[in-house]
Amino acid sequence: MSDKYVDIFDLVKAYPNPFGEAIRVVDGFNLRIPKGEFMSVIGHSGCGKSTVLNMVAGLIPSSEGSIIVAGREIPGSGPDRAVVFQSPCLLPWLTAFDNVMLGVNKCYAHVSEQERKQIVEYSLSAVELQDSMYKFPKEMSGGMQQRVGIARAIALKPNMLLLDEPFGRLDSLTRMDLQDVIVNILAKEKITTMMITHDIDEAVYMSDKICMMTNGPQAKVGEILEIDYERPRHRQQMMLEDKYFGYRERLLSFLENCEKEKEARVKA
Amino acid sequence: MELKYKILKGLDVSGFAVFDPVVRLAYGEEPQKQIRAIGKFIIVPVIFILVCFALTDWIAPKHKTKSGQVPDTATIRKSAKINHLIAKREGIKTVDFLREGADREKTLLEVQALIAEKVAIVDELKAELKIQEEAYKSQLDAKLKPIQSKYDALKAKYKEASNARKAQSKALATQVYNKQVEPSELVALLKESDAQTEAERAELDILKNQLDEKRSEKYEPLELARSNVDSEADALMFLKTREQLLTSRNRSVKVAEAVEKKQGIADSFETATSESKVLNAAKGLVRQELSIERLESQKYAPAATIYLYIQRSVFTVIVGFLLAVIIGIPLGILCGLNKVFMACMTPIIAIFKPVSPVVWLLIFQIIVGAFFPNPDTHPLFVAASNIPWVQTLGVNPAMVFSACTVAMCALWPSLVNTALGVCSLDPDHVNVARVLRLNFWERLTKIIIPSALPLIFAGLRISMGVGWMVLIAAEALSSSDGLGKFVWDEYQNGSSLTFANIMFACFVIGIIGFILDRVMIVLQRIVSFDDSGASV
Repeated sequence: MSDKYVDIFDLVKAYPNPFGEAIRVVDGFNLRIPKGEFMSVIGHSGCGKSTVLNMVAGLIPSSEGSIIVAGREIPGSGPDRAVVFQSPCLLPWLTAFDNVMLGVNKCYAHVSEQERKQIVEYSLSAVELQDSMYKFPKEMSGGMQQRVGIARAIALKPNMLLLDEPFGRLDSLTRMDLQDVIVNILAKEKITTMMITHDIDEAVYMSDKICMMTNGPQAKVGEILEIDYERPRHRQQMMLEDKYFGYRERLLSFLENCEKEKEARVKA
Repeated sequence: MELKYKILKGLDVSGFAVFDPVVRLAYGEEPQKQIRAIGKFIIVPVIFILVCFALTDWIAPKHKTKSGQVPDTATIRKSAKINHLIAKREGIKTVDFLREGADREKTLLEVQALIAEKVAIVDELKAELKIQEEAYKSQLDAKLKPIQSKYDALKAKYKEASNARKAQSKALATQVYNKQVEPSELVALLKESDAQTEAERAELDILKNQLDEKRSEKYEPLELARSNVDSEADALMFLKTREQLLTSRNRSVKVAEAVEKKQGIADSFETATSESKVLNAAKGLVRQELSIERLESQKYAPAATIYLYIQRSVFTVIVGFLLAVIIGIPLGILCGLNKVFMACMTPIIAIFKPVSPVVWLLIFQIIVGAFFPNPDTHPLFVAASNIPWVQTLGVNPAMVFSACTVAMCALWPSLVNTALGVCSLDPDHVNVARVLRLNFWERLTKIIIPSALPLIFAGLRISMGVGWMVLIAAEALSSSDGLGKFVWDEYQNGSSLTFANIMFACFVIGIIGFILDRVMIVLQRIVSFDDSGASV
């Protein structure tokens, strides 16, 4: 059971094409994520990574196949699968606190006001925003806004955390800070996580496993790479070990092969 | 320092950021820079306005119209002063009507003293006027005499010439009759004679025009004397009305009279000689008691003044605007939420939006008018006459029609903008709502409406502007006491100050419209979250 905590089976996303057969963007995608594990999904842009994540989140319906989370077929979108989007998606008329509170009010309807407040404060301090709780989004930097987005997701105590290129719009220094923020939270909370990324170093640093997707259309899982480092991890020390470059090498060659295959297909 | 930034922020939010450098200068922040900013953005515009005024004063008197000359700024100021004076006098009269006891007697003495003073002044001014009239006449005669004599001489001369021509043509006609001369000669002579007469008449007309021109020339001292007499006579009239309001028309005096009369009737019971007389006396007593009751609650009904007009107009526009908001925003939200509803509404909006307010007014007069065939007893007006401030405005059907017209025309911007705001919901926010699995009501109140608020308020601001413009036209047409009716009445009246009053009303309407717009801007900036004004 625990190694099939998240079970994505034969997932297909097909868009109707009025001039021919339906375009199968994702075709036969199979992935299992054990409970508490961090799975990155890497692939070329446009290969359908985000489509898979959105289907798992329930934001877009799948065409075929099943997605099971915590032993149940997903019923559409819901707070049990919290999403951190690429843009922070904060409501600009609410403070950081109220943005997080919006979800907490919804998921902890039975809990007292005081406790809800504590949950919000706890998650905002987990992302190191304890001093900026009552700021409006426009008063915060992009990195801070994304922290609020993360706090909002973890405050829901989800079964699964879905990260859709969460650092895509941040500069590299902020990005490293936020990677550590998430790694630290997950070390405590042990939430099963699926992250979309196209940054190889980020994937290696954060993941337990990396799922490499082939190029679309008809994208599916190409290879799964297990990252064998003890946690807590340290960026510098990881790089000192030879296997780090082995992982990088495999990821890079996979991505290159995908590209070559695509070119070949285009030529054919 | 704290206060400084509060003031600056307040200025920013209320749209008076122009005065920013004044505040900064007062706090001694970079004086040179502030002074430069003040020069550029306050002093230069003020000078520009003054230049505009000066241009008006220069051009306006040059343009003569049927309603007198176009008023210059001084005349408009005079109009403002007179309107204020009228309002002030109505206020005094209202108080006088209610005065009683020692207060009334004291005021009466004061007023009588003032009347005596005024009568003397008016007499003096009338004497002065007479002198000026004489002076005017003599100077006019002096000016007219040379032209008149020239005219008379010329006229006599031409008359003679004309008679000579007539005799000549008659003689020629006889010759033609006797076949001594060809008829064509007579025709030629008549033609020539007509041309001559025409030329002479033209010459006379030139002189006549000169005379008329001289007559219509204004004689400054006379004009001044006349207007002095007019304004003082007006003041005297006002004092006399006050005297009446303190004596025969005063409430307490009238009540006292009625009470005395009642006493007389009560006494007549004793001396009644028959049953029917007793009955009549009793009936009279009942009537008298009723009339005392009515007198006691009576109030002076002041004539409509510019301030009442302003209050009524502002009240009407706010009522109309609120009606528009109450209808427009929910409809707009429905339009934004539901594409089918939007498709249903689109033709209605497209067709009714461009309809002129005048048409709406007439339609409302017919449709809404049918709801109160008897306005005096209709619950709406009875209720309005019991609300503290509103009762002084005198809510009537005309006001309701005007408010409905305002609502009808102000509805569309609110509706359309609300629909747009709801439609253009950020897909990111939709995703958030879906992940949190918010139900419809939570989505509406927590996501949709807050995110649409800036656009909604932008629409409300447009609505308010449209409403105010429409109201003035509606009041003019529906005769609802207000600024629109004020303008219309002035146009119809044709008194000497008419034109100036219209221009004055133009400024009043503009300034009130400006204030309403500012209020809406402040509201808009308070709710708009992409702006710095959000937290004030």
